Amino acid sequence: MTFSLLHATDFADRLLYNIVPPLKAGMIVLADRYAYTAFARDAARGVDRRWVRELYSFAVKPDLAVYFKVPIEVSTDRLMARRVKLKFYEAGMDMGWSPNALESFRIFQGKVLDEYDRLVEEFGLSVVNAVGSITEQQRTFRKLVSQHLAIEETDEQLDEQLA
Amino acid sequence: MNSLTNSSPDTENLIRPGSYYGNGIPYLPIDGYPGKIIAIEGTDGVGRSTQIHLLREWLEVQGYGVIETGWTRSELMQPTIELAKASNTLNKLTFVLLYATDFADRLEKEIIPALKAGFIVLSDRYIFTAMARAGVRGVDRTWMRNLYGFAIAPHLVFYLKIDEKTLIRRVLQSRGMDFWESGMDMKLGYDIYESFRAYQRSLLREYTSMADEFGFRVLDAKRKIDVIQDELRRQIGAFLADSDAATQPASS
Repeated sequence: MTFSLLHATDFADRLLYNIVPPLKAGMIVLADRYAYTAFARDAARGVDRRWVRELYSFAVKPDLAVYFKVPIEVSTDRLMARRVKLKFYEAGMDMGWSPNALESFRIFQGKVLDEYDRLVEEFGLSVVNAVGSITEQQRTFRKLVSQHLAIEETDEQLDEQLA
Repeated sequence: MNSLTNSSPDTENLIRPGSYYGNGIPYLPIDGYPGKIIAIEGTDGVGRSTQIHLLREWLEVQGYGVIETGWTRSELMQPTIELAKASNTLNKLTFVLLYATDFADRLEKEIIPALKAGFIVLSDRYIFTAMARAGVRGVDRTWMRNLYGFAIAPHLVFYLKIDEKTLIRRVLQSRGMDFWESGMDMKLGYDIYESFRAYQRSLLREYTSMADEFGFRVLDAKRKIDVIQDELRRQIGAFLADSDAATQPASS
């Protein structure tokens, strides 16, 4: 609970200082993780799903939310290749599922991924297959973003024509 | 800008003392715990801590185990809250969420274990303080109630009710008006006296509006300390006698 609420506090602070002002100025805000991370992670820790969603009802709905999806093996391999030690909370060690960090991480991330699958449907997240190369992913990502911005522009042009 | 998720008002649930208000903390079932929560609510300067101090002694003499818990006293959060208050970077949302985090920490680490062990938890302020402060700052009421859906409904809530005039005199006599107690963050005015008055007046209004909803037992805080203490002891004594009788086998 405290973990969930501390993150929500941090999010509220960033929302009001770093996200809302640029939005009002008409800028694009790129958010590395958003409230969906909290939905997935908190639910995996056994916090009530509906409660977390309502907790974050003050958040601004993103115009586009992209989920980079990888199977659990790929994410563990990548993490192992990059560094030695998993962080305590990142590995879900606080849950006491396993004394082994990697094993605990697998169990925890497994639950987190299940939650993400649920979120994709619930909130209509766009899924990018993150197993592919960075270049491939970036292409798909750019396509998604430009489609989105293009639509916005046409709308604006239409508005102008109508005005 | 649309909000991320739509808040749907909870279906009106009957409040059961000793149970969670809402869905609670799914990984911490608390049903059947023998302890009791007694909350003393009221604005600043109504004598809450004096009353709690006296109650504790009285309960302990009778053999009850007692713990005290109070607003922003969590080990995890107290330094952070003090820092945030001092640095003036709080907005109404982070203010509310920091308090909730502090409460969650105390709930999991102090209150729930004490209830499990059969203690009486004397709470100096409870979630109603948070709701009143959020209410005057215009935070959505439904959202607040959902936020505190993980809180446990106390067995008894006493509200020490005071009027604005008496409150002002008491606070000035003891320690004076401080920035947050005067609601200076709300920019009601530059004059601390006027701000304090307006802020405390709307706080009192918030408390009153919650009295029925959460079953407050309202006590007049203008009376003498020992008169209030006697009234508290009478009501708590009756409640404890009833619940002790209910848990004892009928044959004895």
